[in-house]
Amino acid sequence: MSNDVAVDVRGLSKHFGDRVIFKDVSLQVRKSEVVAIIGPSGVGKSTFIRCINYLHPFDEGSITVLGHELHGTASGGPPPTRAQLREIRTHVGMVFQTFNLFQHLSVLENIVLGPMDVKKVPRAQAVERAMGLLEMMGLTARANMYPRRLSGGEQQRVAICRALAMDPQIMLFDEPTSMLDPELVGDVLEAIQRLAQEGMTMILVTHEMMFAKEVADTVVVMADNTIAEMGPARQILEAPRTLRAQNFLARVLRRNADEEARLTAMGGDEG
Amino acid sequence: MHLAWLYAGVILQGAVVTLELTVVSTVLSFILGIFGALGRIYGPPWLRTAILAYVELIRGLPPILQLFIIFFGLTQFGIDLPPFTAAMIWLVIYGTGYAIEVFRAGIQAVADGQREAATAVGMGFLSTLRKVVMPQAFVLMLPPLTNFVIIQLKNTTLVYFIGVADIMYQAQLGADATEQPGTLYALAAVAYLIMNGTLSRIAAHLERKAAAYR
Amino acid sequence: MSFLHLWAQNLPAFWQGVEMTLELTALALLLAVAFGFVLALMRLSRLRLLSLVATIYIEVVRAIPVLVLLFVAYYSLGQIGIQMSGFTAAVITLGVYYATLYGEIFRGGIEGVQYGQREAAEALGMGSQAIMRRIVLPQAFLAILPPATNELADLIKDTSLVVTIGVADLMFQAYQASAANFHPMDMFLLAGIMYFVFYLVLSQFLTRWETNVQRRRG
Repeated sequence: MSNDVAVDVRGLSKHFGDRVIFKDVSLQVRKSEVVAIIGPSGVGKSTFIRCINYLHPFDEGSITVLGHELHGTASGGPPPTRAQLREIRTHVGMVFQTFNLFQHLSVLENIVLGPMDVKKVPRAQAVERAMGLLEMMGLTARANMYPRRLSGGEQQRVAICRALAMDPQIMLFDEPTSMLDPELVGDVLEAIQRLAQEGMTMILVTHEMMFAKEVADTVVVMADNTIAEMGPARQILEAPRTLRAQNFLARVLRRNADEEARLTAMGGDEG
Repeated sequence: MHLAWLYAGVILQGAVVTLELTVVSTVLSFILGIFGALGRIYGPPWLRTAILAYVELIRGLPPILQLFIIFFGLTQFGIDLPPFTAAMIWLVIYGTGYAIEVFRAGIQAVADGQREAATAVGMGFLSTLRKVVMPQAFVLMLPPLTNFVIIQLKNTTLVYFIGVADIMYQAQLGADATEQPGTLYALAAVAYLIMNGTLSRIAAHLERKAAAYR
Repeated sequence: MSFLHLWAQNLPAFWQGVEMTLELTALALLLAVAFGFVLALMRLSRLRLLSLVATIYIEVVRAIPVLVLLFVAYYSLGQIGIQMSGFTAAVITLGVYYATLYGEIFRGGIEGVQYGQREAAEALGMGSQAIMRRIVLPQAFLAILPPATNELADLIKDTSLVVTIGVADLMFQAYQASAANFHPMDMFLLAGIMYFVFYLVLSQFLTRWETNVQRRRG
């Protein structure tokens, strides 16, 4: 394995009782690469990216994250130690579909908690860094508010700040915009795009096809609980080779077209 | 063990008194409680304030103090109630205070939209209450109402102090006579455990059934 | 206005009773909160046996009236050689009984914290103890405080049961005074006013605290 690889997933499988969540998933992510995972709901995309920072254990296969090797619980390797988990999670940031900002803490406290508690960064330094991040996101005025008072888009950008405050080398995004009102999606996508331009290694599960095409280097299509196809973003999205990927994309495109037609019709009524 | 068998019959006698107090006071409290709750929600301001004050007073004072006021306190004005009557009056006064809160919460938990919808189709106040609000409120109130019965059953334990021959009273008589309080009070504990356990079972069963209507 | 005179006469004794009532309440509360927290952790434990033991304990103790428990502690345990003063028996009884109530309140509060909160903290690399202390408990606290305050109001009222075993609390003082001066209504009313003050203070505190939190958290 070259030094260039940030995440190396080999033969990953996971079950819940009899139900297969996903099976035999392999994927290499290079440093500074942006990988978008797309596919129909319920094929284990969210569970899969939670395996990368070991929020979910898996049954078979292995993941190497920044030099730390994680093994499936059924494959007999040693389970990760507490120190290892802390090390991995310090360097792998995560942003959730439901934001998951700590409801009892102000925006600023949300951001400084991780650095202070886990990395023992002195408060003054953590606050300075947090304010820098908030300024970058245009949220300086929100620093002392509680999460509930913020719009969904603002909450998600705060969540991105919270992850970035740990100075991660890899960022995981689990459908970061699917809980947002349409008009708020843009700000969050813009923030993610900026990270991509700065060279952050990112894995994101998303339903935004246009965004994936624009930002991702690689697109992975998950269907029927495994990887149906992966490759350069443009090629996968414009000319998929496998039937399963074609089916999925055709469905998505048709839905988008329907949506557009409906919007046009509605616009006509209003106008 | 021998002693336990000997006194099981007496404890059972006490249990009949305990049940009598519980059941009668619960039924009366529920009836008064419904009217109290309606007055608390829909009544004129003075009535609402009065009922609120009543509920707060009942909730703010220790149960045993309320019982003492009725049984001992009234003697100061020449009113000398027999123990059983005093106990029943107290249980109803106390129970009504709690029942009002249960019914009020249940009625108010039914969404305003339901009332609006009924009014919109031209239903009157009473039939809206009877046919739309109450059936839904009742489902919500089942758990607190069964809980109410359990609380009321526990409250009856206090009446031994004024000489009503309930379970506690019989247990204490037995304990004094035999000098075996360990056995007798354990027996009383088991009696309450069985009664409350049965009530909880019924409550759980009702809740499951009621859940089907939601 | 003769009752005012009687009240003044009995005030010192009643005040001693109040002190006893508060002492009982404080110690029982301490025991109930500590033991209740342990019960909550046991019920939330992944070890089946621990959660089973806690569940059975809670279900059984909750089903027995406090007065019966008090008599078991004070009289019955004496029969098997465990002699306690009325005060100790009362503190222990109220403590172990209210522990079941507090245990369930704590458990509900902890379980009510959304899983995503825990997950987000884990993703930051926080350890399980830090997550409990800094993320879960502070949020659970918001849900716990109102019902916990309600239980405290009930606990104060339940301390009055010690009159039955002769511990000199407020209720006992009122009972004794009324037997001595044949003015039971006056005596019980004075005690009632004192009990009601505790109730008012607690419910006022609760209302004010709740509006404060709501304003702050938006």
